[in-house]
Amino acid sequence: MVCYNFYIFNRQGTCLCYHEWQRPKSVKQGAGTPSDDQKMMFGLFFSLKTFAAAMDPRTENKAQLGGPLRIGGACTFHSYATNNYKLHFLESPSGIKIILNTSPEIGDLRDHLSTIYGSIYVEYVLKNPVYMPGKPFRCQYFIGALTKYLQDCRLT
Amino acid sequence: MFSGRLNLIDRPLSKGKSEVSLSAFSFLFSEMVQYSQTQVSNIGELERRLEDAGYSIGLRLLEMLCFRERNSKREIKLLDALKFVHSTVWKYLFGRQARDLEQSNAADDEYMISDSDLFVNKFISVPKDMGQLNCAAFVAGIVRGVLDSAGFPARVTAHFVPVPGQPRPKTTILMKFDASVLQRDSALPSG
Amino acid sequence: METINSEIFTLMYGSIVRQLITDLEDITEVNKQLDTMGYNIGVRLIDEFLAKSRTAACTDFRDSTEKVAKVGFRMFLNTTANVTNWNPEGTECSLVLEDNPLTDFVELPEGCSKLKYCNVLCGVIRGALEMVNVQVECDFAKDTLRGDELNEIRLKLISEGTEAYPFKDDD
Repeated sequence: MVCYNFYIFNRQGTCLCYHEWQRPKSVKQGAGTPSDDQKMMFGLFFSLKTFAAAMDPRTENKAQLGGPLRIGGACTFHSYATNNYKLHFLESPSGIKIILNTSPEIGDLRDHLSTIYGSIYVEYVLKNPVYMPGKPFRCQYFIGALTKYLQDCRLT
Repeated sequence: MFSGRLNLIDRPLSKGKSEVSLSAFSFLFSEMVQYSQTQVSNIGELERRLEDAGYSIGLRLLEMLCFRERNSKREIKLLDALKFVHSTVWKYLFGRQARDLEQSNAADDEYMISDSDLFVNKFISVPKDMGQLNCAAFVAGIVRGVLDSAGFPARVTAHFVPVPGQPRPKTTILMKFDASVLQRDSALPSG
Repeated sequence: METINSEIFTLMYGSIVRQLITDLEDITEVNKQLDTMGYNIGVRLIDEFLAKSRTAACTDFRDSTEKVAKVGFRMFLNTTANVTNWNPEGTECSLVLEDNPLTDFVELPEGCSKLKYCNVLCGVIRGALEMVNVQVECDFAKDTLRGDELNEIRLKLISEGTEAYPFKDDD
């Protein structure tokens, strides 16, 4: 059970926080530079979200592929898995997107991502007077609390 | 202008039991720090502004707490005033008594109140370029206001003191009293 | 939910308003600054609101205002507001506050009758709603500090946006 890396994006596409615990395939071999990597990541789930909503077989009033989406409407995707890793995703109505990459055998982490959003991001980042909304941040208490939370959960 | 409501002065003073969420306070405090940052040019000034904000609160707090405590006697001894800050004021602000109250080894006129996990510092991790900013300067200001209006003028500052074995430092409020206070105190009969 | 004594909150807010009046002197500027500060707070506060109330989405403007009035005010200020006075199109309404912890013990002095003491609340609502793509205009219609019976905030819906891809499709 391994956590590889972690991203937080805001609605404008700015990567507010990126942290990695392990990344055997380095960024250079993948996207090229960290900013390309982040841009690709953002583009990925934006497309996935639109695609998932458009292909939804259950709801009426399907969103048009490529058209604008209302917040919280339609369906939302929350993870995808490959043979090498699993990507977990959470989006809030305020546009904050949390992404966590883990090893593939881990189950559903939606509740955990919710807790990270509500109890760790809100407490350590939003309430910090020196944090400017919309700008990337480096907050050691946040990373520390996040790492500790994930460590406490990995044992479950 | 006559309205049906009672004049503010005639309304009974509330029991002081109503509450707001800690989050509301944190956000407002955050915003106060951020606004102050735009008005100052260095950390020292920022702390001074926070302290001034606390000072004006402390002045008002003493009146209200003494009224609520039904304490008709004014504290005249230094130690009693310190105990007042350590228990009554702290309980009002933080819900509990402060951890420690001690006299400094270095000087007779210095006393320290220490505590950890004060909510003003709970959510703050200071970036490197802000050096030693301590938002507990706000609390130091409140203490200074209380002591000043009780007749014990002092210079009050807040410091971080690392505690071995704990990840976060504790906050110490250092009070350095004016010489006049000590002179007066030693002239009083003890007991 | 952790709470603190509301008086400290009231006193601190009073201290902030006092400092603003000293710094800026012009009451219109102070009102504007209070609104800006509220906006900055609202932009952060929305995430905590969404996380703690587990709100996924509001169906329309009516639903949003109900959430703000009932859930939002209760969560942060421990008081509730009522939503009334809808206009026929459903784009304007009033939030009526009975209890306002910001104004305990406060009386406006002679020279400050134009001061919108609680303007920060308007900014907070505006900022928070903007983060969920709802643009509103928010202002105090009635203010107890200026002699009215109760506090009334008038909310006007400007637009409701949708998610759009923020980057240009150039690569």
